[in-house]
Amino acid sequence: MRYLMMSKASDTDTAPDEKLYVEMGKFIEELTATGALLATGGLEPSGVVMTSRGDEITVTDGPFAEAKEAVAGFALVEVRSKEEAIELGRRFRKIVGDGESVIQQVFGP
Amino acid sequence: MTGTRRTIDAVWKLESAKIIAGLTRMVHDVGLAEELAQDALVAALEQWPESGVPDNPGAWLTAIAKRRAIDRIRRSQRLERKQEQLAHELESSALPVEQDDVLRLMFISCHPVLPTEARAALTLRLVGGLTAAEIARAFLVTESRIAQRITDAKRTLAEERVPFELPQGPELASRLSSVLEVIYLIFNEGYSATSGDDLMRPGLCLEALRLGRLLAELAPHEAEVHGLVALMEVQASRAAARTGPSGEPVQLHEQNRGRWDQLLIRRGFTAMLRAREVGGPPGPYVLQAAIAVCHAQARTAEDTDWAQIATLYQALAGLLPTPIVQLNRAVALGMAHGPEAGLALVDSLVDDPALRDYHLLPGVRGDLLVRLGRYEEARLEFERAASLTRNAAERAFLLRRADELPFAGASGVTLGEAVRDFLAREDLDAATIRSYGQTLRRLCLAVGERLPLASLTADQVARVFTTAWGGAAAKTWNRHRSAVRSFGAWAALTDLTVSVDRRAETRARVSALGPPQLDTLWSGPEFSLRERTLWRLLHESGAGPGAVLSLNVEDLDLDDRRARVGETWVNWRAETARLLPQLLAGRTRGPVFLADRRPGPGRMPTSADLCPETGRRRLSYERAEYLFKQATKSLDPAGDGYTLRQLKSRD
Repeated sequence: MRYLMMSKASDTDTAPDEKLYVEMGKFIEELTATGALLATGGLEPSGVVMTSRGDEITVTDGPFAEAKEAVAGFALVEVRSKEEAIELGRRFRKIVGDGESVIQQVFGP
Repeated sequence: MTGTRRTIDAVWKLESAKIIAGLTRMVHDVGLAEELAQDALVAALEQWPESGVPDNPGAWLTAIAKRRAIDRIRRSQRLERKQEQLAHELESSALPVEQDDVLRLMFISCHPVLPTEARAALTLRLVGGLTAAEIARAFLVTESRIAQRITDAKRTLAEERVPFELPQGPELASRLSSVLEVIYLIFNEGYSATSGDDLMRPGLCLEALRLGRLLAELAPHEAEVHGLVALMEVQASRAAARTGPSGEPVQLHEQNRGRWDQLLIRRGFTAMLRAREVGGPPGPYVLQAAIAVCHAQARTAEDTDWAQIATLYQALAGLLPTPIVQLNRAVALGMAHGPEAGLALVDSLVDDPALRDYHLLPGVRGDLLVRLGRYEEARLEFERAASLTRNAAERAFLLRRADELPFAGASGVTLGEAVRDFLAREDLDAATIRSYGQTLRRLCLAVGERLPLASLTADQVARVFTTAWGGAAAKTWNRHRSAVRSFGAWAALTDLTVSVDRRAETRARVSALGPPQLDTLWSGPEFSLRERTLWRLLHESGAGPGAVLSLNVEDLDLDDRRARVGETWVNWRAETARLLPQLLAGRTRGPVFLADRRPGPGRMPTSADLCPETGRRRLSYERAEYLFKQATKSLDPAGDGYTLRQLKSRD
């Protein structure tokens, strides 16, 4: 089964240090090697919001006030159980420090 | 399972390969390493529900396993200085996992000294972290059988002293191909389940994909590894599209390509590019992947580049000249150059004994016949294919295809009906019916039981004989021949066996076994009760094995030590009389000698050959003969083993 893990931007202002990059690189490499990580990437903080109401579609450019709520990165993993997805998420959170991730199962295609 | 247990299970599956690999490096015995790792798992199961899951659960498991290993080394060996030193060194260092240890572990679990089934089970166990129960569920066999397979495999590896190493030089290619074979076997068992009700078991596909992806990282300079990964990724991309709403198979050209998983297809393409970068002449997996890629690149079925696929199959047939590759090539030829071209190749395969029971051969032939408008023949082929497959979803699909074809109408009695009437005759004894039935059922499978009886030709019969019994002994050949002759005469057909020559039966060596050999058989503790009873009965009665195996419990007269077979009696003496009641164990009806297992679905014998109490089928002559041959190999100076007939007493 596939799970999508989305991580929100951390609320600390400190820029990620060298150590985090190295650890993260290693983690991603390892996940790729075991075949669990299917796709991953970071997301631009601004982006575009589209709203539809009736026939009308509104497009709003970012950035947005609620920067903390914005998703900053994602990982699509293929695992055997929800617990395995959680275990991978746990390892990820240990590397990145304070913040929040959401894990949801992906259905389809 | 509670939450903590599920977490432990998840951590275990992620970590066990690394832990076992590291321990194997320490203790030089993969079986022991796995036990030690299991000890750590047990410790986690005991402690984590109380203490909570530790911060770094993988490291925790590794530390415990390592501690157990050190204890074991200290305890089991005499405390020589060297051992103590080793234990001390290990204690002060981390578990010595090297980059390639998991790869070494794969080479061990796929080692050619192990039977193929054991390799698959052991790999899923050691590298995939699956339990025996999970593996058993995936392969639809009992847990105890998987556990036994794994235990035997570990013992074999220890006895053969298989080293924990990376094979080098010329050995590497063959060892690697064994690993690839195991991974693809696991994938295929999941992708096109050979038995059972579901067409796919996705869990197994995923395990195989994980193993393949892992191997590609560990052995990145092997083109065939990337080829296998590409092949599996692209095949897996079609998983959702290849079954219909009720689980029936949807053929490639009818699949909704919008449901193909583009992510997996892209991964497949990437793996294919990596294979090309490695270079070298394409091996069988790279070629198969290239074929899969061709299909994936076609936006619609009509866009498929069949000419290219036919060329790739030709190259593949050069490397793997198997009839199955040829059959696939025939499909491609049929698409690229018209059904006649495909049919010509298929027709050259129908006499190949290797494809005798392969349901896709009549399936493909049926397809080509439909395209040529030869519906009557096509219908028979689909029905034959349906009777050969062991997969329920596939059988239903094939039968539907047969039913959809226009049917010319009643053309008299069919072969199947005639055979049933023939075997229901009152004037034949049970043994004859069994023997005739065996022959005629094979005939029905080979030409289709709905073939109009009147159109059965001597030519067809001759081909069935060559394919099915070409390699059999003269006596067997002649037995089948006389069965068909008898059937033909009864049905008032012109001689069906006119092209089947009677074979000269050379006087086989039927000398009875001597007392020393018999003594070994009677006293061998390794032989089962069933075997001992059967052999004693054959020896004491002097009756033919066919007659004895046809006995039912109801036929036995235990007090008078005899049983009725047709018109005659089988008599036995004291030893059989002693063994028989033990063998029967209270059964009151059904066959006396039963097979070890229940028949699989779709292989149901007639009720006369089924034990109503245990659900098991009658022990077949072939199986009994095989077991006896195996058991007597060591007694025979020629090393061939003996036949059951040789048990007949000399006096």
